[in-house]
Amino acid sequence: MSTESIKIAIEGVGCVGGFGCGHTAFVSALQQGYAKAQLEEKVHPDGSAFLPALLADTSRLTDFVARRALRRIDHYARMALLGGYLALEDAGVPSSACEKLGVIVASGYGATTTTINFLDSVIDNGDSYASPTNFSNSVHNVAAAYLSMQLQALGPSLTVSQFELSICAALQSAVCWLEQGRVDKVLIGAVDERNALLNDYCWQRSAASDGANTQIAPFDYRRQSAIAGEGAAFLLLSRRDDNTSCGNTPYGYITGLDSGRCTPAQLAADSTAADVLVLGADGQLATADSYSRLAADLGEVLPLVSCAPCYGSLPTGQAFDLIAAALMLRDQCVYGVAAGSKQLVNSPLRTISALKFAPDGQFGQITLSSQAGVYA
Amino acid sequence: MYPAVCVAGIGCICAAGDTLQQAVDSMLRAERHLGAAPIFATTHAEPYPVFPVKKELSHYAFSSAGMRYMRTANLGLEAAHQAIEQSGIDIEQLRTLKVGVCMGTTVGSSMDVEAFYADYRQGATPDMRPIDCFYNSNPAAVISTYFGFNGPQQTIVNACSSGTDAIGTAAMWLRNGCCDVVLAGGADELCRTTYNGFAALQISSPQPCSPFSAERSGLNLGEGAAVLVLARAEVIKQLALAQPYGYVLGYGSGSDGWHLTAPHPEGRGLQQAVHEAIADCADVSGRGVTLDRLAFVNTHGTGTKDNDRVEGLVLAQLLPKTPFHSTKGYTGHTLGAAGAIEAALTLEFLQRQQIPASAGFNVQDPAIALSPVTSNTSFTGNIALSESLAFGGNNAALILGIAEAS
Amino acid sequence: MAKVEEIKEQLKVILIDDLNLDDITPEEIGDNDPLFGDGLGLDSLDAVEMAVIVQKHFGVEIKDMEEGRPALQSVQALANFIVDKQEKA
Repeated sequence: MSTESIKIAIEGVGCVGGFGCGHTAFVSALQQGYAKAQLEEKVHPDGSAFLPALLADTSRLTDFVARRALRRIDHYARMALLGGYLALEDAGVPSSACEKLGVIVASGYGATTTTINFLDSVIDNGDSYASPTNFSNSVHNVAAAYLSMQLQALGPSLTVSQFELSICAALQSAVCWLEQGRVDKVLIGAVDERNALLNDYCWQRSAASDGANTQIAPFDYRRQSAIAGEGAAFLLLSRRDDNTSCGNTPYGYITGLDSGRCTPAQLAADSTAADVLVLGADGQLATADSYSRLAADLGEVLPLVSCAPCYGSLPTGQAFDLIAAALMLRDQCVYGVAAGSKQLVNSPLRTISALKFAPDGQFGQITLSSQAGVYA
Repeated sequence: MYPAVCVAGIGCICAAGDTLQQAVDSMLRAERHLGAAPIFATTHAEPYPVFPVKKELSHYAFSSAGMRYMRTANLGLEAAHQAIEQSGIDIEQLRTLKVGVCMGTTVGSSMDVEAFYADYRQGATPDMRPIDCFYNSNPAAVISTYFGFNGPQQTIVNACSSGTDAIGTAAMWLRNGCCDVVLAGGADELCRTTYNGFAALQISSPQPCSPFSAERSGLNLGEGAAVLVLARAEVIKQLALAQPYGYVLGYGSGSDGWHLTAPHPEGRGLQQAVHEAIADCADVSGRGVTLDRLAFVNTHGTGTKDNDRVEGLVLAQLLPKTPFHSTKGYTGHTLGAAGAIEAALTLEFLQRQQIPASAGFNVQDPAIALSPVTSNTSFTGNIALSESLAFGGNNAALILGIAEAS
Repeated sequence: MAKVEEIKEQLKVILIDDLNLDDITPEEIGDNDPLFGDGLGLDSLDAVEMAVIVQKHFGVEIKDMEEGRPALQSVQALANFIVDKQEKA
């Protein structure tokens, strides 16, 4: 990693999801330990019922963007826009001051509903009747594009798609941009849309989901308890060096970023420096084994929590875990669903790690600290 | 300014050739290997020509369940194989280092599952393999997993500038010390969704494309992949490799913030990208690079009215005397792979000290002050610019170089 | 003429529905109001979308924007264009 002592500060957070809109609503859900899933009275073409889901409401977006400007913008991009605007608002950065802002959007699946709508137009009417608007809106980078247009952010823009490791990958680039002084601030976030075909029909085909289940049981590693979620989680990061006059106190600093392959035992050993470990366990059987082995290796050494019951199961869930970790540092309080019954919590909370596994066993780990240290 | 990032090896596969050498040879012979129609069925009244890869790709199958990757991932693996082989790095030695993978794509991350979806809509129980294939085919993850690397992975989905952004991002990782080596590039396949989508936007040409020409009527889609093995100079030394094939000297990008499908009329994002790329870089001997040192420009040059007009405008302002061309008349528009294929081509053109004619150009457009080269053109100089413009207003530029002649 | 009148009314509803212009009513679209720029505020992406819409609803092709530009000036111009093409077919 860099040998420069650079501080990557989290200046603001913004999120929308099944828990509601904004970080206050997120904290309420975290304190409660879950968000209530919605049941839709719908069926798939083969007659199978829809599963409960944690859906996002973007009606607050019109506080920031004129309704007419949203005319062609689909739910996927609306969630991202709302997340971005909320993070800027939280950081106290006016949306008129974004010309040099870097923008990075991470998404696991992209604009799935619009992609499906495009297929509908072709299947229903023929190749010559494909909708050009749907096609343009189905490209992954459409969310970043609309952020750039609405904010007049003319700096670098990146959209990253890496399934469960998307936000970790995106942060890798954000940190590079900030450390190399390419931009002073980055609006970085993740967005994923729940789509009935992918997150419902396909899940039921692959992993025998129980339709009666309405809550994620993240530490029950024997069954599929995932509830599909959707939403956007954005952060405003800034580069602070020793000479920066502080302004607002940041939520914390990003002090560690790692991804790749590692044995759970090694990961466990590397994680013990944290005061809390936020596991990305979200009720998916495909990753249960990795989390359970890690938890077993860690024992009761540090508190393990999962925040997924509050926002659902989605590839970019780790972005919500990151915001939860930032809120924990701010509030000096552990949020989420705890793994063990006896949780020794260090006081004060100084370092929190968020760790996410992909089904193939790869991991992505992000560490936040309340004190800026040498980035490692 | 940052030290140059070394290119230890390159792999490239596209319609013009199954390897980088073959592709450049065929371009210098003015060959255009396009098909009058795609191999998949389509109900358009007139088919749109495309630039397919003809090589039978090795089937890189999972050992279990006989799962195959999407064609995009296969193309990426082909290019990655070539690049590693050309670099001369022993794969076992590579695995002991921190190796990142950064790939650009469009189709490779999209749910191109038309047949599955059609069956689903009818209430059938379709085979799940297309969905599993989608989950398993993330281009960066595929390359990293296949070769057994341990390091950051990132698939960049910035539409048509993805390949350029992937190489630029990889260079940033190396400068930051995130990893020792990065395989960076892009891959994309021809498919019905993009074929229908571009036709719906009325920017596909029913003729072979004519970038920058007055009568140009749109783009032709293509497919392919390119991968560069990138490393810092000290790692090249540590691995006792031969002199690098070339260098990534600078990278810049900028957003138009203008429109989803049309470029900014004055190309403000492209101007920013080029300026940032130039400001970012030093040549191999540490001297700053200025615009007048560029030997040529490999443009985005898709053949659409809007792109070529805006690009021509920016070139006229920044580089009025520098020879330029588009290679999309030989490769088609390969979307997420384009920036990577063009970076590979640019490096090979620098080695050969020659650029091929801009295929398809006939008559100067009165609305564009400049014209591309119309015959194979020799030059002196060891630094060039490759640029990409994308839907959503992304613009990206790479300054590429080879060692100075001693 | 009756045909053109009928198509104009249909077009207004279709434009609002298919282009998501949910902040106006069909009555608010004047026959001769410019559709692009300062009038209804549509842009180049809407223009190609309208080519698909017109084909789908009326079976009439707008081959390219050379043909499209005059036809898409206003609801009146578009209705005339459609009737004209339908009669020639």
